[in-house]
Amino acid sequence: MVAEQRPDLETIDMPINMGPQHPSTHGVFRMVLVVSGEKVVDVTPHIGYMHRGGEKLMETMDFRQGIGYADRTEYLAQFSAELGYVLAVERLMGVEVPERAEYIRVILTELNRLTSHFMFAGAFGIDSGLFGTSMMFAFREREFIQDLFEEISGDRLMYAYFRVGGLAWEVTDNFVQRCHESLKTAERGIRDIDDLLTHNEIFMGRCQNIGAFTAQQAIAYGLSGPMLRASGVPFDLRKDEPYSVYPRLKFDIPVGNYGDVYDRFLVRIEEMRQSVKIVEQALEQLPPEGPIVAEKLPRRLRTPPGEVYAKVESPRGEWGVYLISKGGDKPYRLKMRSPSFCNLTALREMTIGQFLADAVMVLGSMDIVLCDVDR
Amino acid sequence: MAQDPQSPDEQKQPDAKDAAAETAPAAPEGAPAAKAAKPAAERPARPAKEAEPKTAPRETPPPGSLNEVIAAALPDVSIAAAYMVPAVSGEAVAIELKRDDVPAVLQVCRDDARLAMDYLRCLSGVDWQEEGLEVVYHLWSFEKRHELTVKTRVTYEDAVVPSVAAIYPAADWHEREARDMFGIAFSGHPNLVPLLLPDDMTDHFPLRKDIPLQEIEEWQGENLREGAGEGEE
Repeated sequence: MVAEQRPDLETIDMPINMGPQHPSTHGVFRMVLVVSGEKVVDVTPHIGYMHRGGEKLMETMDFRQGIGYADRTEYLAQFSAELGYVLAVERLMGVEVPERAEYIRVILTELNRLTSHFMFAGAFGIDSGLFGTSMMFAFREREFIQDLFEEISGDRLMYAYFRVGGLAWEVTDNFVQRCHESLKTAERGIRDIDDLLTHNEIFMGRCQNIGAFTAQQAIAYGLSGPMLRASGVPFDLRKDEPYSVYPRLKFDIPVGNYGDVYDRFLVRIEEMRQSVKIVEQALEQLPPEGPIVAEKLPRRLRTPPGEVYAKVESPRGEWGVYLISKGGDKPYRLKMRSPSFCNLTALREMTIGQFLADAVMVLGSMDIVLCDVDR
Repeated sequence: MAQDPQSPDEQKQPDAKDAAAETAPAAPEGAPAAKAAKPAAERPARPAKEAEPKTAPRETPPPGSLNEVIAAALPDVSIAAAYMVPAVSGEAVAIELKRDDVPAVLQVCRDDARLAMDYLRCLSGVDWQEEGLEVVYHLWSFEKRHELTVKTRVTYEDAVVPSVAAIYPAADWHEREARDMFGIAFSGHPNLVPLLLPDDMTDHFPLRKDIPLQEIEEWQGENLREGAGEGEE
């Protein structure tokens, strides 16, 4: 039967509110979607529910206290956040970090990348409609690595372990062995998630050709990290503007072809494999002994006046710290360029024209941390 | 912990701040006498501090740097200052502009083949108090692998900067954030409504320096100095 044309009836665009309390927004995030039938015609993201004035708070904290706040901002990649912050202060103070501390930092940051991407893979599986299995696989390995972090830092989530000039204290005696164990379980986790999702026909159908961004669009919108690389831009701060001991480690930068949701997933899974490689090499090169904190650091850290924009490749992208100091022991201004915030800018552009159900997939593929968005 | 908030009042140093004494919680039980602050005479004399410079020394960029390329591409624009700022490794060029020149310069930065800076990685507001408000743009070129910092200053009374959201879509949310936090209006911005702050909070700019965080400052940083063996600044 052919549908009857009824010009006297008109359709309306309907606004649908999603969030702030919604499981697939990965935190306290609200978006108002305007739909015409099943198609999204407009999106208005509302953020700021978690805004705590972090940049203002950090102006009142000295350079040691600020490390703890960096954790609380990027709470899935805490070591990356700490590293960005201490790099900025070290650059301004001109502190040389001992080699052993650099290697331990890189090992922990890369293990942290694994836990963060596990979190992504688990949650993304749920976004795609898989009932919890991916989360179980991912969290089994994530917990194992997190136990290692807890052994070292004394805290499960808020590590506050990096210090300006090095590390807070020496790692545990069985650190190398525990890292190897963590890598082994991580490899199993990567394999399980890969088997479960990557070639799953339903999952591919849900992911492919959705939310695609070209390289030009990705650059214009200031995307970074896996979002940028999935669009075909082979840019990784660890290689392109290297810091710490990354120039001594061999690894590849996975790049996507289509820039869609599926490519972002593939890039992250491949990044996890590369992280395993990085940690293995770093463990081999790790000096067995040596200082872990730069010598002759004053108890009260003071920077000369000046400014620096330090950046590290966090699991979500470019974590930048723009630090301005007027001298003294506190930042005059500290801007956190958080990758979640910048990537979320593109949500509107990516979602318009998609189906309503795919908006969840696009948001999930961004892998945002709402504390990091709002700061 | 430098100054023990739990020590009873009589054990406090005589020069402890009154405000700190008022807000100190009552001691649950007598804190051990060893925890009392040491008399000042026991401390070794500290060497006199060298006067710290108040501003960073500014080095002029080497010849052929980005500022000269921009000056050649845009002869009408005057670059107020050009100097080097530290990057993670090495240094990068920073230029200061008049606010009305910002869109033109950023357009050239993006489109000129010699500059090719297609990536706006960060846009920050800064409150320099009596020296006004500042907007800082951090640009990066994927092709040429160089970066540039662009700065422009405005006064509080006339805190308007032309928007660059049309040139770099990435600037959209950054500019809204800077409006929220510093009250810098970006003229020509397509949607300059509060982003992080509540919709009705349009007259209060939390990251400006005249809005203090007093109660937190009381217990942090410089005010912990008494008892830590450090003099006043």
